[in-house]
Parts: sequence; structure tokens; C-alpha cells
Amino acid sequence: MRSRGMLVALLVSSLLLALSPTASTEETSRVTIGLNGFENNITPFTHSFGAFPNTHDLVHLVYDSLFWSQARDDPEPWLAESAEPSEDYTTWTVSLRDDVTWHDGTPFTADDVQFSMEYYVEHEADSGRYAHHVGDMPLYEDSEIIDDHTIRLDFAHPAGQFRIMPGADLPILPRHQWEDVAEPGAFTEELPVGTGPYRVAEIVSDQQYRFEANDDYFQGRPLVDELVMPIIQEPAAAFAALQTGDVDYVSQNVPTELIEAFDRADDIEVLRGTIFQSIQLYFNTPREPLDDPQLRKAIALAIDREEIVETVLLGNGEPGRDSYMHPESPWAIDEEIRQFDPDQARDLLDEAGYDQMNGDGIRLTPDGDPLAFTVLVSSFDPQGIRTSQIVAEQVSEVGIDLEVEALDPATIGQRRRAPEPGQEADFDIRVGGLEAHAHVDPDALYYFFHTPGERGFGETQTSYANPEFDEIVVRAGESGDLDERRELLAEAQRILAEDVPMIVVMYPDGIWAHRTDGYAGWIADFGHSPLTKRSFLAEYAGTGVGEGPLGTGVEEAARQPWVWVLVALLVIAVVVAAVFLRRRGADEYE
Amino acid sequence: MTWRIVRLVVQYGLVLFAAAALNFALPRLAPGDVTDYLIPPEQAGAITAEQRERILARYGLDEPLPVQFREYLAGLVRGDLLISARYSRPVTDIVLERLPWTLLLVGTSTLLAVAVGTAAGFRSAWKRGRATDVSTMSTFMLIDSMPPFFVGLLLILVFSVHLGWFPIFGAVPTLPTEGVELVVEVARRLILPALSLTAAMLGTIYLVARPALVSELREDYVLMAQAKGLTKRQVRRHAERNALLPVTTMALINLGTVVGGATVIETVFSYPGLGRLLYESVLARDYPVLQGTFFVLAVTVLAANFVADLLYPLLDPRVRRPFASP
Repeated sequence: MRSRGMLVALLVSSLLLALSPTASTEETSRVTIGLNGFENNITPFTHSFGAFPNTHDLVHLVYDSLFWSQARDDPEPWLAESAEPSEDYTTWTVSLRDDVTWHDGTPFTADDVQFSMEYYVEHEADSGRYAHHVGDMPLYEDSEIIDDHTIRLDFAHPAGQFRIMPGADLPILPRHQWEDVAEPGAFTEELPVGTGPYRVAEIVSDQQYRFEANDDYFQGRPLVDELVMPIIQEPAAAFAALQTGDVDYVSQNVPTELIEAFDRADDIEVLRGTIFQSIQLYFNTPREPLDDPQLRKAIALAIDREEIVETVLLGNGEPGRDSYMHPESPWAIDEEIRQFDPDQARDLLDEAGYDQMNGDGIRLTPDGDPLAFTVLVSSFDPQGIRTSQIVAEQVSEVGIDLEVEALDPATIGQRRRAPEPGQEADFDIRVGGLEAHAHVDPDALYYFFHTPGERGFGETQTSYANPEFDEIVVRAGESGDLDERRELLAEAQRILAEDVPMIVVMYPDGIWAHRTDGYAGWIADFGHSPLTKRSFLAEYAGTGVGEGPLGTGVEEAARQPWVWVLVALLVIAVVVAAVFLRRRGADEYE
Repeated sequence: MTWRIVRLVVQYGLVLFAAAALNFALPRLAPGDVTDYLIPPEQAGAITAEQRERILARYGLDEPLPVQFREYLAGLVRGDLLISARYSRPVTDIVLERLPWTLLLVGTSTLLAVAVGTAAGFRSAWKRGRATDVSTMSTFMLIDSMPPFFVGLLLILVFSVHLGWFPIFGAVPTLPTEGVELVVEVARRLILPALSLTAAMLGTIYLVARPALVSELREDYVLMAQAKGLTKRQVRRHAERNALLPVTTMALINLGTVVGGATVIETVFSYPGLGRLLYESVLARDYPVLQGTFFVLAVTVLAANFVADLLYPLLDPRVRRPFASP
């Protein structure tokens, strides 16, 4: 029985080892953040949208823009000290801070701003997220460097909201890192150099990021020395890790069913704010019979949005508006909120000629086709699926048949866009979500709903076409006068509410959770998640730094996984040997 | 003899080619392409058709299919699996980063499942019809009926959230660690996912092991051995050795499926293995990663088959002849 004893000893000792806590020394303040997806290299050209919604904020931990943040109509100067327009707003003279350096110590100058503008225009395809704000509305033309910290930017047409777009959006790039990069989309060998509060110290593909504080940050040294971001996709696992203290913060919204428990927990604090989320139905507006605004309006009237907010979000959100923009957006209008009214919907449908029904109680078009449509929704969007199912049920009450079809995102991506310019996309109605940028960008109405063609990208949204609307949103984009712009955008929203190319079903609240025994500076920054640069800057952050979990020095052995295969094989060999020895010892099978 | 070797090489070569062709063709049958993934939904219209083409061109995905296929095969010969469209990095690097973790997880679980499943199956077989057999059988059926996802979350709830014994995510600690401590940390992070995956495999192995031994015990040679007055241990050695054959085959053939099954568990435990890579690459329509990973998996499964072929003669003298054909 000697060998059996050995086996037991082996098991016990490995168990003891497994249970012994990891040693740590107090050196660095550190916050661990469970990130919901890997975003590739953190540059404006390479980050993927796997972890959408964080992307914009992660990029802006590393990079800065001239102004910040785009969530308000008067962003504060950031890399810029000021920006003054010419009378017709086609030219902006920007004076830059002179105390900014890149992460590698190189001084930041007007030359970098000029380079960034040109580079984004040149590589527009690699940066769909950012470049259209210099390549379409407004359209960057030229620039002149006046001195090291002053630059004049010329636009092809008036750039009325330059301070917001591209001012508070476009990450400024260092010329010395990018000028020889011909394929920015393939920039994965080098870590990015920015001016931002954090620099990327380490990327382990699909496993984690490590960010280190930029000691020389011009807004003051960030409050946390190190941000460690392991990727934890599965929400249940991510929030379990928050409960055990393995992470201090989770980048995903708290699932509605956990909110109550977290509100009660002592070691977890729930933050509420808005990053302007919305969930909406997109109509394929050129497709018959959905090309009839009366039909779309009737569908909008037949949806009880209050009930959906209660059922799907447990009340944590607001019912949607047909004027599209999020109620807290600086550009949103408050009138034109369409109430649930199935009777009016029926009247409208009768008037519009859909007064005949087939045997199943589904209305018919004047041509005799049933009003039956397919709703595409991502199979990875449980909230979207539940929403569309309830919508289908509600709309069936007025005699319209909606069938929900859950597909994977890439399939939807293909079906939502026209195969060739001018052709019709292959869907009736689809459900999708939008966030932050799409509701705070005053040009969002222009980009989403402008008639498909040279300008905007309406053809991948609803293909809505209305020349009157086009004129208004273009004028709004070019207007430098805040009141005039607001009035024009209000007019555009009224037209949308009347034509209903898209039905916003709801605006979910932003609800996040962090531990109370770690970093305490988290803020629900307006228009951002708490994982945003201002959460780590003394001037903006919450009550201050707590004692985060602390760790030891740096080395790379952990990244050589082959060693572990050998170790495991060895352990298994020992166990197998022990079992065999034991068996030899046993004489009789019982 | 030479003829046998040639035949073996040709056979494995044909299977590999078929696998490579399927790996190339199947992902491309799905609608959409990688640009539908790479370009964020609300920006999808910001780029024109030509720009879309240019992105595809960077990864060689704009070429006609025969050219792409030729490039792919040429790459395989060179040991170069092309560039991932999602990561903009060589697929070979990505796969090599993941493969060891998958081998570790799948290897540990397979060995555990085979050891436990076979032991329990054999025990049931010896005690067939008795209470031990019935209770073991029901237990294994219960474990087998639980979805791996659920088992994983259950283990997290009990051992991580309540007992606080094991970390919830990753394969290595978030902070750099070294030496013995690192070994311990890697082991701690392996235990729960390995147990979940073991649970997913256990039923299958048990269900092969038990009837295998039951049918052996009905054979005349067992009766003969018992009649000869051999000890129970000697009888057991004869019978169990023969019953191990189907178990070995099952375990090795199953390897490919297990990597697929590991997907869910790798997602729950944020484990950086090939299963998760495959799953995400399917979503991203990242053809280079898909064809590369599937190819590596095909090679692994074929290798396992080959090992099974080699093991057979050791386990079963009846097939002990030179170069048993696969």
C-alpha cells in the first residue's frame, strides 16, 4: 500500500498548492477590468468591433482628439486650446497645447494634426468609424501649418460643427509612427503611440490587454498606474468574476435580472448613466408595400413601447421615439412622441387601402398580397429577439403578420446592403442596436437618412429617400450657428417622425457595476461607459483611489504554453503510474 | 512492404486533400464575407464597393476561387496558413498560440474521461444488473444529459463564487507570474474547464466501456479461463484487455468532436483554445483562420487515427501483422 499512500500524498499536496493564495507586493495601483471582447490592436485602423460598445473609449484611452467629448454640443478643448472659424465656416484656425508629448517622448505639433487629416482621408476604407468625418461631412480639403502649435484647416464646404465632428471624434495620430505605414488595417506588429492617458503595454491576443499610465499626461497623471483587461465574453462568468473580486469592473451592461441583487450587495456599486443606446426596427423603405409611409406609421402606432420597456428591460429604459434621436442627445426634440394607439392604426390601414383581410385575419394590399413580413434579428442579441417577438405579437392585433428570423450577424450584414449600387437590399424589416456616437453626432441624421448615393450611407440603413430632408440635413451640417442648426435638426426629426423609415422601440439605460473595495473613481460619464478616460483623471473622477489588487514584476514565461502541455503530461504519467502500481498491489477483484 | 507504405501515404494524402478542399469550400458557402464583420454595422455604408474590394484584396480574398484554392494549397505545402482577416496576423502564429491550450484542455479531459469512464464502465459490467450497476448507470446518464455550458456555470457557482477555490477566467494569471507559482496557477485555471469537458465526454466512454466488457464476459474464452481455475484477476486481465479496444477507438475518433465541444467550455471559462477561435472565426467569416484551423484539426484527428492503428496490434494480437492498413 506504499504507492497508494504516495498517490494520496500527491493529491493532497497539489490541492494544498492549489489553495494557497498568490503572494503580492505593494507597488502599483492596478484595476482589473473584464472586457467583453478582444479588439485587436488599439489603433483607429485595427480595432475590431468585437467588444462594441467599448471601442471608441478604449481607443481614446490611448489617443486624444482636439476636443472632448462629443456627447455635448460644446465639447471642451483637449489637444486644442481653441478653434476659430472663418466667417463662412470653411476654414478653422486651431491653436494647440504646447505641453503635449507622445508616449515615446516626441513633442506633439501641428504637423501631426495635418498628417492625421491627410492620412484619414487617404485611408478612408480602413477606418470606416472615423474617416467619414473628414471625407464626407465635412470634407477636408487642405491645411496650412502656421507655426508649431497653430494650424489652419480648409474644408470644401462649411464645417459648422467642426469642434464636435471631427474635433471631438478623430484620434490624432503621430506622423512619426504612421507615415511609412501603407496598410494601416494590417498594423498589428507594433504597439500604438498616442498622447492619451494610457499607453498599451501588452496585448495577448484574445486573452488580455495591459495599459500603463502615461506619467506625463497633460491633464495630470492618471489616478491608476495600471489597467489590466482580461477578455471575459460570457456575461454570467464576467459578473461572477466581479462578485468574487477577480475583476473590479465589467465592461458590459449589467443584465437586467442582476441589477436588483447588485443594488443590495455591499461590495458592488451600480452606476447608472447613458451611452445613448437604442434598439430599432429598420424598414427596407424602397420595397413594396413597405414603401408606403402610412403602413409604416400604422406599425409604429400598433407597438406598445412602454410594455416592451417593462418586459424586456424591466423598466430600465425609455420608450423609443420615431424622431429617432435619443431623448438626452443635445439635438433631440421632445414633441412628436407617438403613443400606442391600435385603433388609430386600424383606421389608418383601412384608409390607406389595406381594408381587406384573408382567412387568417391578415390584411391584404390593394393587389391582394397579405401584409406579411420577415423581421431579421441577430441570433446573438437576446434582447433584440425578445423585442421583435413582442413587436410581432402586438402588430398581429391590427392584422399585420411579422415573422421573426434570427440569423448570424455576418448573414444579416450581407442581406442589409444592396448587392450593387442602385439595387434593393434583401430584407423587409430588421432589428438592430446603436450606441453613443450614432445619437450624439449631429450629422447622424445626415449619414443614416440621406438619399442613397454619393453622400451619407443611407443605402445600408433604410434606403430612405426624401430630397426635402436631404436639403435640411446638409444645411444643418454646414451651419455654424448653434440655434439655426438645432432648428434644422428639429425639422429633420419631425420629417422622420412623419415618414417613419425606422421605429426606435426603446432606449435602454446604461447600467454598470464596479466593486467598492477597489478603485472608487469610476464615473458614469455622460455619453460614455465608466471605462472612459475621464474616469481616471483627477479633475473628473469620483471620490478617489481605493486599494486595488496589487501585483509583482514583469516577465514573459507565462506566454510559453507548450511548457504546460509537458507539465500536464508528466503529472498524468505520474497519476497513471500510481494507479497501475496500486492495481498491482491489489490481489483480488472484489 | 514498399507497396504498403505507398498505399498508406496515398490513403492519408487523399484524406488530407479532401479535408483541405472541404475546409476551403464550406466556409465560403455561408452568406456574407469578412467585410460584413470588420465594418461596424452603422458604418457599413461609409465605404464604397471598391474600398470593400481593397480590404478583401489585402487578404487575397478578391481572387477567383480557383486561384484562392491554389494559394491555399501552396501555403499548406510551405507550412504557411496565410493571413487572418480578423487579426491581420499570420494564421500559423494564431493557431500555434491556441493549439497547446486546446491540447492541454482536451488532453487532460480525454484522459480523465477515459480513466474514470472506463473504470466505472468495467465495474458496472462486472456487477451488471446489481444495484451498483444501476446506480452508476443512472449517475452517468444524469451527467451526460447536462449541457456542458450548464455544468461549467454550475462549477463556477460552487467552486469559484461560493468556495472561492478556483479563478473563473483565463489560462494564465492576469499578472505576470513565474516558476512553481505559475505551474500552480495554470493548474488552478485548468481544473474547472477540464472537469466540465470531462463531464461532457464521460457518458460516451462509459456507454462504450460497459457493453464492451459485458460482451467479452459472455465469450467462451472467459468461461474457459474460469473453468481452468484462473484467479479472478487473471480472468479480468484477459477480458478487460479485449474490452479496451472499442474504448480506445472511441476516444481517439472522438477527438475532433471534443475540440468542437470544447468551444462552449472555452467560452464560459474564457480559455484561449482552438474551439473558441473557430467559433468566432465562423462568425467573422475569417476564411484563412477557418481553413487553417480546420486543417490543423484534420491533421490532429488523422494523427490520432494513425496512433490508433499503431496501438491496435499492441492491444489486440489478432491484428498483429506488419503495417496494418488503416
